[in-house]
Amino acid sequence: MNKTSHHSSDKDENLSGQYVLGTLKPEERQAFEKRLVNSTELQRSVNQWQAHFLSITDNLTPLAVPQPLSARIERSLDELQKQPTKVAPKATNPLLSFWQNLALWRGVSITCLMLAVVLGFQLQHNATRINEPTYIAVLVKPEDKTPGWVIQTSHSNQIQLVPLGAVEIPKGKALQFWTKADGWDAPISLGLVKKGETLNLDINQLPPLTENQLFELTIESETGSPTGKPTGEITSIGRGIAI
Amino acid sequence: MPLSTTFDYEAALESCAEGNRQALMQLYEQESPRLLTVVMRILKNRQLSEDVVHDAFIKIWKHSNTYHKDLGSARGWVYTITRNLALNALKYSHRQVLAEPDFLLDLCDNNVLASAEQPDDLGELANDPLAQASLQTCLEYLEPERKLCVLHAYVDGYTQQEIAKLLDKPLGTVKSWIKRSLSALKECLQ
Repeated sequence: MNKTSHHSSDKDENLSGQYVLGTLKPEERQAFEKRLVNSTELQRSVNQWQAHFLSITDNLTPLAVPQPLSARIERSLDELQKQPTKVAPKATNPLLSFWQNLALWRGVSITCLMLAVVLGFQLQHNATRINEPTYIAVLVKPEDKTPGWVIQTSHSNQIQLVPLGAVEIPKGKALQFWTKADGWDAPISLGLVKKGETLNLDINQLPPLTENQLFELTIESETGSPTGKPTGEITSIGRGIAI
Repeated sequence: MPLSTTFDYEAALESCAEGNRQALMQLYEQESPRLLTVVMRILKNRQLSEDVVHDAFIKIWKHSNTYHKDLGSARGWVYTITRNLALNALKYSHRQVLAEPDFLLDLCDNNVLASAEQPDDLGELANDPLAQASLQTCLEYLEPERKLCVLHAYVDGYTQQEIAKLLDKPLGTVKSWIKRSLSALKECLQ
């Protein structure tokens, strides 16, 4: 190795270290990141520095991570999987990729589950039900996918949120009902849910329901979320389908 | 918490790249408490820190196919993504800049490490236990003030301006201390 290339690699090692420490000036950082993208060597050097320095922060006492965070990540992954180009497996045979499409089969099995729950539910309530539902969603517990609530709409211009079993609401808390369709910036609140009661909402006061629209229930303070956005633990979550 | 010390970070990222969501959630189980700690230390804001950890896992998922073995430490790769998001998020956070020299110096003290309640699994957490142990050793060779510059930058995410003000040194001095410290560390680690 000649002297200049050795010199430049020392300089790069130092730059990588500064990059990891976060001490480069914004313009230096940008310039470094541009080179980083195309250089295996620089990336390796950055990862190496990071692994070294990590041994210091590993001595910090780890914090407990709140449960809703993993549910939030799962929700974001669901959103991503609807645009399946990003992390699609590199299958070349389209037939093969069809059979290997986890999202598809997961979708199919969830739809089957939803239909089973809804049909069972309708059998139970057949005597009182006149209108056929046109849109349904089954909300399940994020941890074990137990169905907890059904949402359905019919021609009566009502959207109903119906509990499937006993509902536990912690003392001094309330369940808040939210929805978010694709393209909305944030979920909107559909109101607070009372224990053991069906919530009826006038559909005309909502934006039109869309396929795959997200519905969820979160635990909030008695008067509802202070921020106007879901803040508490997600107790049930699901997506709507038109039938 | 039952953190596995033999977690295979490389395999987890490769699995993510194949679209295996469970691999990401396993990585989450394994690493999220430590990632949150690192981010919290920088941002000193719980809500914002949780947002950053969320964004980090989404980014890890989306970019897992750009990671390969030649890039070295997979755990380092995960932390680089996360710390960069945290450093970017500093723009939205007004945090306090604190000195805490004893806390920082204890954090990388070999003796503290050895006598701490968590015995030897900390060193094993990293991919290369030997290299990890030697960073602690190499840091010992730095003068305390220079070591503090490095620690404030890495652990607290302070800018060189903030460090200069905190230690009451000219900015140029802090800059050259950090550069020279890195060169000395590199030399020592080889």
